[in-house]
Amino acid sequence: MEVSHSVKERTIAENSLVILLQGLRGRVTTVELRDESAAAGRVTSVDAFMNVRLAEVTFTDRRGAACRLDELFVTGRNVRYVHIPDDVDIRATIEEQLRAIHRVRYFGGRDKGRREFPRAKH
Amino acid sequence: SLTFQQQTTNTVEEPLDLIRLSLDERIYVKMRNDRELRGRLHAYDQHLNMILGDVEETVTTIEIDEETYEEIYKSTKRNIPMLFVRGDGVVLVAPPLRVG
Repeated sequence: MEVSHSVKERTIAENSLVILLQGLRGRVTTVELRDESAAAGRVTSVDAFMNVRLAEVTFTDRRGAACRLDELFVTGRNVRYVHIPDDVDIRATIEEQLRAIHRVRYFGGRDKGRREFPRAKH
Repeated sequence: SLTFQQQTTNTVEEPLDLIRLSLDERIYVKMRNDRELRGRLHAYDQHLNMILGDVEETVTTIEIDEETYEEIYKSTKRNIPMLFVRGDGVVLVAPPLRVG
């Protein structure tokens, strides 16, 4: 389970629905863009800002012309919809992603390692 | 935090709480670019990113008749089983409109 290396991104993702999209890594989905074009392909990654990387893409432009792309990067702002495949269990996917973030955050146990949210010093 | 993970409070304190009341219900969503969605609200967040199930999207276009110059409203509908909607496209959220 891949989790962002950035504390900021982990926190943003944990507090929004983008975390579900991050759980779609490896799935084939269709991303519909703001400009009415659509990209159908395998999700490589989604970051906290909803920037999406897809592979093996069929890109259909606004006018309906389709082309094949090995890789495509879509800026988060340009996403309108993401189709969720029928076999995705939404709740389970989100919970798995949260568990992955917590594993990274609490690595090393209570008294070891660098703390993501340091204990308050009195 | 994600809505369905929070301890649910019964009080309505802020506008987003009104949307919470519609969880698992069918809702109407008006979007930018003359789009409307009707579907079951499964989840939402503070950005109004939403997950809708059993969605019907209506796109409305206006065509101008070349002879009479009257405006003809055309709408195109399609159905999508499960859709993630990015919040910045959402204009309003309401219970389903009872329009004929």
